[in-house]
Amino acid sequence: MKYESQGIAKMYFIAALGLFLGQIIFGIIMGMQYVVGDFLFPEIPFNVARMVHTNLLIIWLLFGFMGSAYYLVPEEAERELFSPILAKVMFWVFLGASVLTILGYLLVPYARLAEITMNDLLPTMGREFLEQPTITKIGIVIVALAFVYNIGMTILAGRKTVINVVLLTGIIGLAVFFLFAFYNPHNIVLDKYFWWFVIHLWVEGVWELIMASLLAYVLIKVTGVDREVIEKWLYIIVAMALISGLIGTGHHFFWIGTPDYWQWLGSIFSALEPIPFFMMTLFAFSVVNQRRRDHPNKAAVLWALGTAVMAFLGAGVWGFMHTLAPINYYTHGTQITAAHGHMAFYGAYVMVVLTMISYSMPIMRGKKAANETAQKLEIWAFWLMTLSMVGLTLILTAAGVMQVFLQRFSEDPLPFMVVQDELKNFYWAREITGIGFLSGLFLYLYSFFAKGKEVEFEEEQLD
Amino acid sequence: MTSDKLQLKRASTSALLSLLNLTILPIIGFIALLFLYQKTESNSIDRYYAALGIKTNLWAAVALILVTGSMFLVGGYNSAWTWVYVVSYFVMVHALFILFATWTLTRSWTGQKLKLSLAK
Ligand code: HEM
Ligand code: HEM
Ligand SMILES: [Fe+2]
Repeated sequence: MKYESQGIAKMYFIAALGLFLGQIIFGIIMGMQYVVGDFLFPEIPFNVARMVHTNLLIIWLLFGFMGSAYYLVPEEAERELFSPILAKVMFWVFLGASVLTILGYLLVPYARLAEITMNDLLPTMGREFLEQPTITKIGIVIVALAFVYNIGMTILAGRKTVINVVLLTGIIGLAVFFLFAFYNPHNIVLDKYFWWFVIHLWVEGVWELIMASLLAYVLIKVTGVDREVIEKWLYIIVAMALISGLIGTGHHFFWIGTPDYWQWLGSIFSALEPIPFFMMTLFAFSVVNQRRRDHPNKAAVLWALGTAVMAFLGAGVWGFMHTLAPINYYTHGTQITAAHGHMAFYGAYVMVVLTMISYSMPIMRGKKAANETAQKLEIWAFWLMTLSMVGLTLILTAAGVMQVFLQRFSEDPLPFMVVQDELKNFYWAREITGIGFLSGLFLYLYSFFAKGKEVEFEEEQLD
Repeated sequence: MTSDKLQLKRASTSALLSLLNLTILPIIGFIALLFLYQKTESNSIDRYYAALGIKTNLWAAVALILVTGSMFLVGGYNSAWTWVYVVSYFVMVHALFILFATWTLTRSWTGQKLKLSLAK
């Protein structure tokens, strides 16, 4: 660790991983409820479990992004973090708000939670991913602003690299687009319209900048490839992400009561959205092939390559699959969507955070790389989680095709719930892959505690 | 351009054409690849990549067109299960070919032959 304040990342990463575990457990609970309808009823109804699953995902990814930025920015800017205290205080504020919110979901009926938190004053609750009480949302804004300020001041006062400027742009975008969560028009068409300005413009816009910069940073570290080479790639990736992603939002405006021209705009621009993800694959493959050294942290290299591949599959390929209006007409809101949502979130954002953790955690614990046993376990965990996610995605894809066929495509379409019954076996299979994923996650968490022989390396293998 | 550089250029163009044929320029990419192959000499790096591109795409044609075609023949166009197999299989296998061609392309930029591992 070159700068002491980089160590703040550690607490962020630990919180992220704890919440990640919670997210997966709730995924598995829901997977079970899909096949055993009254599983854990009335303690944990499906809608609550779903909210907990998706909100924990978003929260822990935000912890992961913040930790990553606190680790990366001092080193790139070549100075200590502007205010380590602020970063620590905000950690506890964010963790407190998150835990309270999740407990609120679990312990109080949602309508009552809305009452208690005085949702009436400024109603923002009730929309997927943005279910948080308004007061939590305000907390998120405060944390995000403090974070942008802290990171921004550090970069302004220090060295500006393409990596940290792209990261900062992404972070500012994340904070700004979240503000749409406060606008909650009565007209349901408008409401959905603006909802997507948060969700879509996050994952298919500004988060891509965060992802690209984190990936670029780790790749420079582990391959020793020249910064100039990597910067050129970053420019193209950022440009392509924004060109395709902004108007690409239109792929969510096909059937919600918006004007017809969105079918053209949305189809054409979102069809270009795989390009930045593909560029990241090309970029990662190419710098790894041109690497100047073999870094002792093999697990981190694997995570970086895995991110590039899985993001391309989940976002690029599985996104493209249903993004053209004539296809989306059939697949909209089916298990195809869930298949894509899972692989894209995992492949892009879960994996890029795990890449950063894999690279930086050993360093924050005073080593260049984890010991041989720990790395071996981590690599096993990588494959177990990744292959389970591929399995889960393929099973949901199969279920989705079956669903589309029976419910929307065939000569005499069946009702929704009848079709769901037909899909039982797929859902059982999904649950098995879910348990595979959880085992991988346990192995991953265990790898941090595994003892073993330290890896041997020469100084020139490092930065 | 020295003949060495020309070969490297052709090698990476071949790898690119192979990828294009799998994605946005099907058939056209393959024809261009055949023309490029004719210009190369045996035992050279550009011949290697042109041949690899041709082989990759022939295999892709078998795996994607022939196999999915047979799925339709066996299962019939009007069966849900046919579509389940066709869509899942086609998307996954097509993506794997694209990833393979992408890795090949970045290998061609190094001027070395294909290698699928990271070991030195
Ligand atoms: C890192 C891993 C995971 C990520 C990133 C993730 C992400 C998501 C996302 C984004 C959604 C919302 C999907 C949508 O709106 O279409 C969702 C829903 C869901 N997830 Fe996960 N998830 C993960 C792991 C799991 C696991 C292991 C299971 C268990 C089998 C699971 C089961 C579910 C279920 C049942 C839903 C609800 C789908 C519905 O409403 O019909 N997830 N997850
Ligand atoms: C890492 C990036 C991405 C993530 C995390 C992601 C995640 C998601 C999620 C969670 C949903 C479901 C939202 C909901 O209705 O609850 C969704 C929907 C959708 N995504 Fe993505 N996505 C990504 C990239 C892409 C890309 C690149 C494309 C197109 C090429 C795409 C196309 C779509 C489409 C068309 C839908 C709407 C599906 C429907 O009509 O039901 N996505 N995405
Ligand atoms: Fe989108």
